[in-house]
Amino acid sequence: MALFKQIQSAIDNSIGRRRLGYLLLGLVVLFFLWFPNDTSQSNYAKTVFISGFFYAILSSSWAMLAGIAGQFSFGHMAFMGIGAYVAGLFARDGITVAALGIALTPESISAVGAIIIGTIAAGAVGLVIGWLLLRLRSSYLALFTIAFSELFRIAMLTEYDFTGGSNGLSLRPLLEVADVDTARQIEYYLMFGLLVACLLVMYRVAHSPIGIFLRAMREDEDAASALGVNVVRYKILVFVFTSMIVGLAGAIFYSDVGSERIIPEQLEVLQMSLIIAYACIGGMESLLGAAAGAFISRYLLEAMREVIITLPFGLTMADGSDAFVWETGAWRFALFGLVMVFTLRYMRNGLLFPIFNWFSGRDLVLKETVAKRKHDDDHVAMLEDQDE
Amino acid sequence: MSEINLELNRIAKRFGGNQAVDHVSFSVTKPQLIGMIGPNGAGKTTLTNLMSGMLKPSSGTIYLNGRRIDGRAPYDVTRAGLGRTFQITRALNRMTVMENMMVPGLAHEPGARKADLTERARQILSFLTIDHLTNEYSRALSGGQRKLLELGRLLMLDPSVIILDEPFAGVHPRLQETIYNYIHRVHEDGKAIILISHNMGAVFELSQRLIVLNFGALIADGEPQQVKNDPAVIDAYLGHDEDD
Repeated sequence: MALFKQIQSAIDNSIGRRRLGYLLLGLVVLFFLWFPNDTSQSNYAKTVFISGFFYAILSSSWAMLAGIAGQFSFGHMAFMGIGAYVAGLFARDGITVAALGIALTPESISAVGAIIIGTIAAGAVGLVIGWLLLRLRSSYLALFTIAFSELFRIAMLTEYDFTGGSNGLSLRPLLEVADVDTARQIEYYLMFGLLVACLLVMYRVAHSPIGIFLRAMREDEDAASALGVNVVRYKILVFVFTSMIVGLAGAIFYSDVGSERIIPEQLEVLQMSLIIAYACIGGMESLLGAAAGAFISRYLLEAMREVIITLPFGLTMADGSDAFVWETGAWRFALFGLVMVFTLRYMRNGLLFPIFNWFSGRDLVLKETVAKRKHDDDHVAMLEDQDE
Repeated sequence: MSEINLELNRIAKRFGGNQAVDHVSFSVTKPQLIGMIGPNGAGKTTLTNLMSGMLKPSSGTIYLNGRRIDGRAPYDVTRAGLGRTFQITRALNRMTVMENMMVPGLAHEPGARKADLTERARQILSFLTIDHLTNEYSRALSGGQRKLLELGRLLMLDPSVIILDEPFAGVHPRLQETIYNYIHRVHEDGKAIILISHNMGAVFELSQRLIVLNFGALIADGEPQQVKNDPAVIDAYLGHDEDD
């Protein structure tokens, strides 16, 4: 009874709810830390999780760019690709800049070094694209980034001798562990650690003065500028920042951590649309929401490859089995599209928003302010009656 | 002699074949409360946009506190000490009232402690009678409350020159009273104010000096009574009494 009362009082105030939220988040983190140690889990399950972590980084960083800063870009996958391709090409060919006296042979570049170079390259291209996009807003910005993204994909596809074309490009493996099980476990923790680190850094930025400026810019660039916000600087900054995050994630993931090669197919607009869809389903304006949306969506899409429906009332199939096996194929994406339509029509802040909102205790704060405002409005109405 | 805070020298702005602002010159000193009037399309908002950096002038110069600001980015002009409101309020909708206040606060004083800025914001919101809406999203505010929020944001910037573009438009009479108090207080604090409004009663009551624009050109600049009797102003804007 006492415990019930304690829980009741905790959920009746915003601080208590927030603590409860942190507690739940801690339990989720503990689950992910424990998961690869569960001996009943196959390497395939771990691979699905690794892929989920990767897409969670992509979606949450896109949420930072579009949901928080208001830059609705379709170029996110291209920046991921730049990170991976540049890392791969440097590790394969090395680099020589005679004018600067730089001569790096492939042997002298480690996998980590290549990943760093790929990340910097993604940031550098983000800087240029951010600068080019300064005067573009909404649909023009989206169209420009689609064009940029396709340009990059087609270049990677066409330059067969250089990039491997449709066969893709292998990056230098980041880990060299002979035992497959151990390797999968390390790769799992590596991607999970990267996701946590990226979320923490983005959360820190989103809740700093820079985050406030980015949101002001999203709401109204002119108004933000009139309030003293250097819109040019922050627009470029957010492009560089998110490009580096996805560039890093791409370079690591394709260094044989999640996948052994990057292929141009990964850079298609459809793939980018999935990233956007994951973020919208989870919550475009919430980093955690977008990450959770991506992870859960990836997991469900994978789990729905084959749906087994147990027949009721003792019914059996023609082959005598009591279950119907549905090979969903492309239908799972259709179902996913249906969820997307529902989300955009009825829950524009994402399916997870009500949960995050509840744990933030914001509705309690609003209840207080709305009640106060109603009281004030009544007071004004009363005074007006007296005037008459 | 008062120090000149804002000085416009032959400022002009042309949009294609339309001369929106036609070589306008005037200066503003602290603490002066100047009314800017003129018919629709006279160039008042364009001139405001030129002063605040939203538009680049076709020719002419603007100095703010001795520093040339024409052609500079709006944020730079704001940081140099010129704050403005918009004719149609531009609250940052999906941000709370407090966050709206923090944007100019953090931009103006990057090193300030958040607690200090929050306290200052609370005091301003309290003066503007919207402190109870601190945690509310600004999209939920009424038109008048949004006007007050815009005025509050300006105080966070602590500018030396303030341009108020139609602060009384569409505002409940009781909230208009709060805006009157705001203008008086800001003026007493020693700031220069340029008040743009079609509310003639308020403009003539509050202004120490009137500037009148017509077809982008400055047609009168002087004390309100003097401007009121100026035949050019009567013809262009105020109109003749029916008895005349």
